[in-house]
Amino acid sequence: MTIRNPLRDHGQRYRPRIACLKKAEKVLLEMQDLKTGVKSQPQRLVITTIPHAITGEDIIAWLADRFQVDTQEARSFGSMLVALGYIYPLQDHKRLVIKPDASLYRFQTPYFWPTQQWPVEDTDYAIYLAKRNIRKKGILEVHEQEHYNRLHKWMNHKWDFIVMQAKEQYRAAKERKKPDRVVFDCQERAYWVVHRPPPGTVSAMDYGLDRLIDPNADEAKTPDFYARIMIFTQQSIMRPRVKSSVSLGALVKYCATYNNHDPFLSKCLPSNPWLTDDVTYWTLNMPYVEIPTKMRVERWTFSFAELLSDPRGRNDFRLFLKKEFSGENLAFWEGCEDLKWGEAATMREKAEHIYKTFLARGAPRWINIDGKTMEITVKGLKHPHRYVLDAAQTHIYMLMKKDSYGRYQKSPVFKETVKKAICPEEHHFTDAQLEQNAKKRRPSLSPIILRQMEQEQRAKMAANVDITQLCRFTTPVPHLAVYSGITDFPSANASPSLPFLAHSPACPSPISVALDSTSASERRVEAGEGEGEGNPAAQAPAGGNVSKSRMALSLQRLLKRGCTPATLFASLSPKCHSAAGTSSRIQPISPDQPSQAPPRRIGNFFQIKVDIPPECRIYPIESEDEDEENRAASRGGVGAKEIICPWESLTPQNGTG
Amino acid sequence: MPLVNNKVGDDCTVGTDKVLVDGKAQVDSLIKVVACYRHLASCVGGCTDSLQLRDELRQTREKALKLSVSICNHLTSHLRNKSLPEGQRKEMELLWVAFSSSLELLHVDMCKVFNISDIFSLANTDALVQTGLQGGGSEVAARALSLPDLNIAPNPTLPAGLESQERSTMEQEISQMDRMIDDMEMKVNVMRWMVESHGPQHAEALSSSDSASLALLSVDEEQPGHQPPCQRSNIHVLLLLFAVVLVAATLSVCIIFFT
Repeated sequence: MTIRNPLRDHGQRYRPRIACLKKAEKVLLEMQDLKTGVKSQPQRLVITTIPHAITGEDIIAWLADRFQVDTQEARSFGSMLVALGYIYPLQDHKRLVIKPDASLYRFQTPYFWPTQQWPVEDTDYAIYLAKRNIRKKGILEVHEQEHYNRLHKWMNHKWDFIVMQAKEQYRAAKERKKPDRVVFDCQERAYWVVHRPPPGTVSAMDYGLDRLIDPNADEAKTPDFYARIMIFTQQSIMRPRVKSSVSLGALVKYCATYNNHDPFLSKCLPSNPWLTDDVTYWTLNMPYVEIPTKMRVERWTFSFAELLSDPRGRNDFRLFLKKEFSGENLAFWEGCEDLKWGEAATMREKAEHIYKTFLARGAPRWINIDGKTMEITVKGLKHPHRYVLDAAQTHIYMLMKKDSYGRYQKSPVFKETVKKAICPEEHHFTDAQLEQNAKKRRPSLSPIILRQMEQEQRAKMAANVDITQLCRFTTPVPHLAVYSGITDFPSANASPSLPFLAHSPACPSPISVALDSTSASERRVEAGEGEGEGNPAAQAPAGGNVSKSRMALSLQRLLKRGCTPATLFASLSPKCHSAAGTSSRIQPISPDQPSQAPPRRIGNFFQIKVDIPPECRIYPIESEDEDEENRAASRGGVGAKEIICPWESLTPQNGTG
Repeated sequence: MPLVNNKVGDDCTVGTDKVLVDGKAQVDSLIKVVACYRHLASCVGGCTDSLQLRDELRQTREKALKLSVSICNHLTSHLRNKSLPEGQRKEMELLWVAFSSSLELLHVDMCKVFNISDIFSLANTDALVQTGLQGGGSEVAARALSLPDLNIAPNPTLPAGLESQERSTMEQEISQMDRMIDDMEMKVNVMRWMVESHGPQHAEALSSSDSASLALLSVDEEQPGHQPPCQRSNIHVLLLLFAVVLVAATLSVCIIFFT
């Protein structure tokens, strides 16, 4: 049904412009000119003669003369005109090429020219096939018969109409004189050879994907239109430029490297499924196949990105890293990818999970990134968005690429894989076998099944993850209570802060003894600790569970705040005894502690604002001073709506926040 | 279509039967006109394009529009009638589908003719494509208009404003069709997936006397692989020869016998 509602219609149904059509039309009009065009002669048939037939060699000669090109090119040009449907061959009508001999061609009538505006309708094709059937039963070829059956199924509601129309067109054609009838039949047949080619032929009318916008419609010159053009040109100007020698060199290198691996440019083993309809190539190269092919394994050596993007390669790499006990890098990288490309709803949880698993001090699979990146990441995690872990991910990626990748290629794991990789034999199909293959074509696995397989794989991966691999950095470092403080803000209490300050240095002291790393950030932390500690200390914790008076509340908070690090790390730190001593101070509140500590704990290190402004601020990589300022500033303003993070296990508070 | 055999004994359905039969006849004639229009449209821009052809096109178009307006009213009024019995409704819907499909075909043909006549103006007959056609479409137009003969005195002169006038008329007609199609869709909700056709999948061969044109076509093709038509024409020739030989033999026998 061609009735369309332009208002609510969002389908992509407009064919893209085929620019060559207009040009071909111009050439054709010149060609058919009686005086200056191609010489025409009558075609002699058994009973009659039909005028306006032209020979192939004449066409080629005329084109070569008109455009001043050599005959080979004129021949290709002529073949293109035939393939597009502007000229049709009278003999051998199924092969749309120009033969440079006396074989005859004729110009197609403008009604049957290929146009941009009107796509070729299946209804017309059905009518045409029905007409041919009427004329003589059984004349349809196999593919035409298949089309006919399919159309009968899909257009069943108008089938009566189609049959009736076919009959009427047939009867109307009989009214015409014989030669005209023959010409019309030839024209129509040629039209359908162009637009419904038999399978296995290349059609000149292949045009790719349909467009959303009608290219024939004139675009209204509204301010929006001009604004779009302006934005486009501005962005073009701002694009970074590369020297052409560099970019061309990169292109050449790419082509040289991948030339043998391209299934269309070079031989594809065992055989190219698009050409022979045999899907062995695809089954051998499934994403999670056991034994990869030699070509695939070779591609892994081209670049690290290739290795990671191939699921099988990634598995191999993961195996290697597991043997080297540095699997957390890859796991972190994969987690970041998942965050980047995953759903927005689960983004926050994913970010938290990744943080807890990989980045926090004392995390089970702590990854080694430098302090600056860590700061940026942690700061960004306050307002998590998709790309918050980008800096860390890039760092880890480079680390893997420079370090592990090289070792992987020399490792026994890889060598084993290379040895086991298969190199399939090439297929040699006869024509009959090719036809058989074409008949046996089946649709590939449904995307639903593929997704299920992928999820199973992922679940298997997750089940196998070795979280207990601790590296030397997993000792808990508690002094980063300051970071914890950042997230909650002291909406009040300048006055209580003074006495608090007196307490705060005391608390961390036993813990600071346990410190074994002295990164700059930590030093800074300690410097800022004094002022920082006081403010956060006064901050409200997980709201709702405190119903005491304000003063009591703040005191409680103070104590909790000031000493929580102590209590938390008490269980972990090897030097917990001294810490335990301080914990006595908080005994009065201890009954509350267990219930409140978990939520508060979370609130400390990782407070995620639920009232994040719609535009997520992306923290750029700033200088350290700015970091300080920002931290101080941000301490001042964030509201205190915390998220409960069910975090019970080893790593408690990590103040890398 | 089995409509005509629908001799239900019920008196109250006789009236609607007539309605159906009427509707069917009108739709059939619209289909005929659309088919003829297509044949005529395929000549536009070719070497047989002439004022006469354009005139015939115009007349066919007018007839088609007239028919379609009347069918539209007829079918719309009946399909909006809620008290229509189920069997009648199904038949009506079939007619409706046939009608809308013919309208679409006509619409596309009209647009194509409009565009082609844009490119190929009759003033410049040199530019018309040498398609190999020799005769005009008069017979087809006669069939479309259901006239035994088309007696139009060809107008040798080309009035200056005729073409632009024709173009504007065509534009109006095309937009009228657009509106009619839109109206149809708005007023009557026929669910096309519910409509089932009655007819056979393959139309039966209308006549076997068309082997002559088939022979013409098959002579065009010199493909060795295209065996059946060639063989068929060969067989016809052989049969003809055989018949001639037989006749000659009989005659000679008669002559010998009677002399």
